[in-house]
Amino acid sequence: MLRDVAFAVTLVVFIVLLAVATGLGGLGPLPPPRLRPLAVNVLNTTYNPYYAARNFTADAPEAVTAVVWDYRGLDTVFETAVFYGAIIGALALYREVSKRVEESRPRGLSTIVKVSTAVMVVAIAAVGVSTAMHGQLTPGGGFQAGSIIAVAPVVLLVVFSKSFLEKAGVRYAKMVALRSAALVGIGLAALAVAIAAGAMGCWGYVLQNQPKPDAPLGYPPRALDVPSGGSLMVFNVLEMLAVAAGFTVVFLVLSTSEKLAKEEVVGEEHGY
Amino acid sequence: MDTEFVRVAYMIVVLSMYVNIGVSLYAALAKPNLVKKIIALTILGDSVNTFIILVGYRFWRPGVFLQPPVLTNLRPTSEVIRQFLEKAVDPIPQALVLTAIVINLAVTVFLATVALHMYRHFGTVNMDVVGRLKRYEVRKEMA
Repeated sequence: MLRDVAFAVTLVVFIVLLAVATGLGGLGPLPPPRLRPLAVNVLNTTYNPYYAARNFTADAPEAVTAVVWDYRGLDTVFETAVFYGAIIGALALYREVSKRVEESRPRGLSTIVKVSTAVMVVAIAAVGVSTAMHGQLTPGGGFQAGSIIAVAPVVLLVVFSKSFLEKAGVRYAKMVALRSAALVGIGLAALAVAIAAGAMGCWGYVLQNQPKPDAPLGYPPRALDVPSGGSLMVFNVLEMLAVAAGFTVVFLVLSTSEKLAKEEVVGEEHGY
Repeated sequence: MDTEFVRVAYMIVVLSMYVNIGVSLYAALAKPNLVKKIIALTILGDSVNTFIILVGYRFWRPGVFLQPPVLTNLRPTSEVIRQFLEKAVDPIPQALVLTAIVINLAVTVFLATVALHMYRHFGTVNMDVVGRLKRYEVRKEMA
């Protein structure tokens, strides 16, 4: 009781202090005017056939994807690593049982639900893939596409069962392998231009997308006469695979049957 | 719509973000239930993300047409690009938030796994009870 009162008072004081500071102009003029030149710089170079003889363009009409995988590419690679680590942490808790195949064979929901779900899962996958492939043209990209696709196995887990998914080939080992392969692919795509430049004896940068004045190599800016954003499309597709497989494997482990999951905590009843 | 009104409205949005952050911090610290803590953390993350998006906000006035940072013309003239620079909102906060949302989701999934594991271990997700159980166990071993 006393603790609740103390917390409530602290909360009110916290909000009032922040509000007073902001009201007196603690954040400066809002929105901050000094950030606009940065935005103009990014917007000007994202898809510009004129700017400084095309020397610093990302060749993607969608500025957000260009920022994510070109302007701040290294940042995003490490965020992918954080994502990878969080999933690893979740899997490590169930390392004993995660590789075991379910013995129980639940029947799942009714036929009507199953058939409509089977149709919907195809639609979900199609939306996800198109979100990744169009990431450089319209709002979207690898992260969003992976999250969309990860909905499909969750729905399948509820409507069918875990053993159904395992029989269909969505298994722990496969998903972990797919996720790791996608992460390695992201690393290789980031290094590709630098390695090629090293082999040809010219300058190249890690995470380089389009040719620069001092580094003549780069990804092709168009695929089938549509702006592909060079490396952005490659990164988006690989990121989609990594995110989708990562979430799928966690949901698989989380839906382990209670009987199997209890084995994980056997022997931990004492000593806590 | 005059500029002063927009400024006041903007300040109200900022203050509501403070309230959101404060309430979710309170819930994450004070509520003993692990599931409620996780829900509070997601609310905290989303509030902060909305706050970051606000930085890219631009004042709207009659006659000003704003657009998302997406160039819809694939064969732009320099006039099209000049208009794009004036109309588009800041893409950088959106790019930062985009990755933050997915990382937030991954961390939430990890926390949910930990909470499930604790439930199977202790039979409860109430941190007060878990603490009492652990104290009891420690006293028993010391005796």
